[in-house]
Amino acid sequence: MGELLFEAKGIGKDYGATTVLHDIDMKISSGEIIGLIGENGAGKSTLMKIISGVEKQSFGTMTLRGKPYSANTILEANHHGIGMVFQEQSLVGNLTVAQNIYLNREKKYSTAGFVSWRKMNVDAKKAIARLGLDLDTSKKVRDLDFATRQMIEIAKVLDVVEETASGKAIILLDEPTTVLSNEEIDKLFENMRNVAARGNAIIFISHRLDEVLKITDRIYVFKDGAETAEMPTKGADINILYEKMVGRSTTGEFYVEHKQTVPTDEVVMSVKDLSVFGSFNHISFDLHKGEVLGLCGVEGSGKESICAVLVGDEAPTSGEIVINGKNQNFANPYQARKKGILGVPKERRSEGMIGILSLEDNILISHLDGLTKRGLLNGKKTRAIADEWIKKAGIKCTSAEERINQLSGGNAQKVIFARALESGCRILILNHPTRGVDVGSKEEIYSLVRDMTAAGNSIILLGDTLDECIGLSSRCIVLRDGLITGSFECQVGNKPSQKNIVEKMM
Amino acid sequence: MTKKKAFKQEYLTKYMYLISLVLVMVVFSIFAPGFLSLYSLQNIMFEAAPLLILAGGLSFIIYTGGIDLGAGAMVSCTCVLTGIYIAKMGNIIVLLMILAGVVMGTLNGVITAKLKLPSFIVTLCTQNFWNYVALILCPNGSIIIPMNMRSIVKWTTVKIGVIPSTFLLAILVIFLLYVFQQYTFYGKSIFAVGANANATRLAGVNIDAAQISAFTISGVCSALAGALYAYKLKSAVPTIGTSLTLTAIASVALGGTSMAGGRGSVLRTSIGVLTITAVTSGLDMMGADPLWKNIIIGVILIGAVCLNSDSQGRDLIIK
Repeated sequence: MGELLFEAKGIGKDYGATTVLHDIDMKISSGEIIGLIGENGAGKSTLMKIISGVEKQSFGTMTLRGKPYSANTILEANHHGIGMVFQEQSLVGNLTVAQNIYLNREKKYSTAGFVSWRKMNVDAKKAIARLGLDLDTSKKVRDLDFATRQMIEIAKVLDVVEETASGKAIILLDEPTTVLSNEEIDKLFENMRNVAARGNAIIFISHRLDEVLKITDRIYVFKDGAETAEMPTKGADINILYEKMVGRSTTGEFYVEHKQTVPTDEVVMSVKDLSVFGSFNHISFDLHKGEVLGLCGVEGSGKESICAVLVGDEAPTSGEIVINGKNQNFANPYQARKKGILGVPKERRSEGMIGILSLEDNILISHLDGLTKRGLLNGKKTRAIADEWIKKAGIKCTSAEERINQLSGGNAQKVIFARALESGCRILILNHPTRGVDVGSKEEIYSLVRDMTAAGNSIILLGDTLDECIGLSSRCIVLRDGLITGSFECQVGNKPSQKNIVEKMM
Repeated sequence: MTKKKAFKQEYLTKYMYLISLVLVMVVFSIFAPGFLSLYSLQNIMFEAAPLLILAGGLSFIIYTGGIDLGAGAMVSCTCVLTGIYIAKMGNIIVLLMILAGVVMGTLNGVITAKLKLPSFIVTLCTQNFWNYVALILCPNGSIIIPMNMRSIVKWTTVKIGVIPSTFLLAILVIFLLYVFQQYTFYGKSIFAVGANANATRLAGVNIDAAQISAFTISGVCSALAGALYAYKLKSAVPTIGTSLTLTAIASVALGGTSMAGGRGSVLRTSIGVLTITAVTSGLDMMGADPLWKNIIIGVILIGAVCLNSDSQGRDLIIK
């Protein structure tokens, strides 16, 4: 590897009496791609915040290119050639791509207070071209899809740090792949290799271990705020990483297949000839009691739109949704819930969590009308129900009164699942249920899914990965361009291969 | 160390609404002798009663993240209706006013929720109706309730023990609002809508119903407050509500209820109302220039709201 760019020695962080990071050593050399993995709350984000100048360490020292390094703000870190791409997107929606990339750096393009947008657009075009992106940089960011925004965010940080430390910059990527499709991920990886080949170093955080194994040169594993392993990627595999991360070895049955139920013949919902103009056409399928029905397809195949229709968020152009022998028409998610259909939405923060409310309120919100007696709720009873779910779903929190936005992603997702289960709905639409969730929580969520079907509920699943979709489902429907192109039975021990399904997707 | 400081700040913010009330009491008891006397305190309670009901109801709209700029106009309207028709109808008029409140509030709610318009615009427009009714019925200013009919309104000046009866009525209303807020499905949904309307909708909650119920509650409370003002002033006053909208909103803010929605309590609002009433009453007792009085209240409000509203949102970008 190249010269040593960055070294951290004995980094620790305290919040009052709690230690969240303990005695971390890390070395980063020029041209390296480093993987950083760990469960939610393991301290990855805290270390990234310390390196990128968002927070100060309580102990330890950092050295950058042989000199002592510390940064009080993100800007200061940028000037040293260290830039971070945050997990939550930080672009300004109503500014153009170019304005976002050069936000706070407009001075370069201004004369006498007037900014030359033309020059800025030319440079912005070059900046995004470095990531193989080609689009009109005078477009507003809010008009772009999430994946493109993510790439622009990376292009922005790349441009900032390369400006000050070309070839010796350090870029921190916090779960950049969550919103990207497989194709886009491949493109991102290719670009990451190019960036590293110019001598820069990258720290890559992801919950997807296969990605980490694919792209990185070296891996650091964190658990409970401490470093449990540091190894070259060459000698690592999923089982080793899993064990170091979770502290126990994987059961080998990641998708809890031994609890997969065989669906009954009873049809709980029948979709007939359903269409939404421009999204999908003539979709028909039956959902059986106890079934996990996976919808596979690339982005834009119509699977998201089918979900939206089923939960009452979008109106179909034509077709029927038959429940209990009657054609149902949902004007909104409320009516869908009344008929026993509830969704676990894809965007956890904006669509799932009611951020500033307590866990109790978040768990009970879909069932409050059912718990009301003579117009009133019983405070003791609602608390008891919330406490029970916290225990059952293994939610780590201080009490049911804690605000949901103080929980880690995996724990918050378990709260949303508890809400879906508490609602009493028999048909649950899970849209990317494990997005941005760590491996340990994933397994707990899979287990919850198995419990749901065992209790006689039916599930429609949009998996976060194809692997997950196959592993969890008892049947998969494959969609392409809004049409069903295939259907696969997925009994335990007889699951279709990813290849079989991808062939129908493309 | 910084953590400790943050903790203190959080603590201060949490209880600032109580601290401001105590502070106001202490300051005025120094500058205005007799401020803490029984008579003076009774006067504050008497003055605060209708405002407590008005601001208590308004709180619910603010929980949803909306605002009602027409609350004062509803007060004017119902004050006039009460003042004019009480001579014919007696105390039963209060029930009719509550019904009028249901209609006015629900209308606002339905327009806001179903047409998906900002409540700011809707209430700014609909208030003209209520003002119209008030002014068309009292074209020449206030109308006094005839002397021979005063026995009907006498109950409002009665004291039970040392507490004015209207204040007890206000306390009862606040208690009911508190129960509604904490222990009903609608109360919980109203907060959820204010905290994250989209997530609440996707959780299968009827958010239109929640929003409309907030407006209905507020309408009822405004109407009740209007009726109470007619009793208190023994007249139909068509312009009574003009300044009340802002006083009520200020009371809610002073209590520390988030203007962005999702958080707050009618108990906090009540303390806010008492603080504002105490300041007004204290300045009166000190003999402050009435022109200066409003300026002083304005300054105090900015200071208090500034201390009350916590600096949420700083940690939004970074998880």
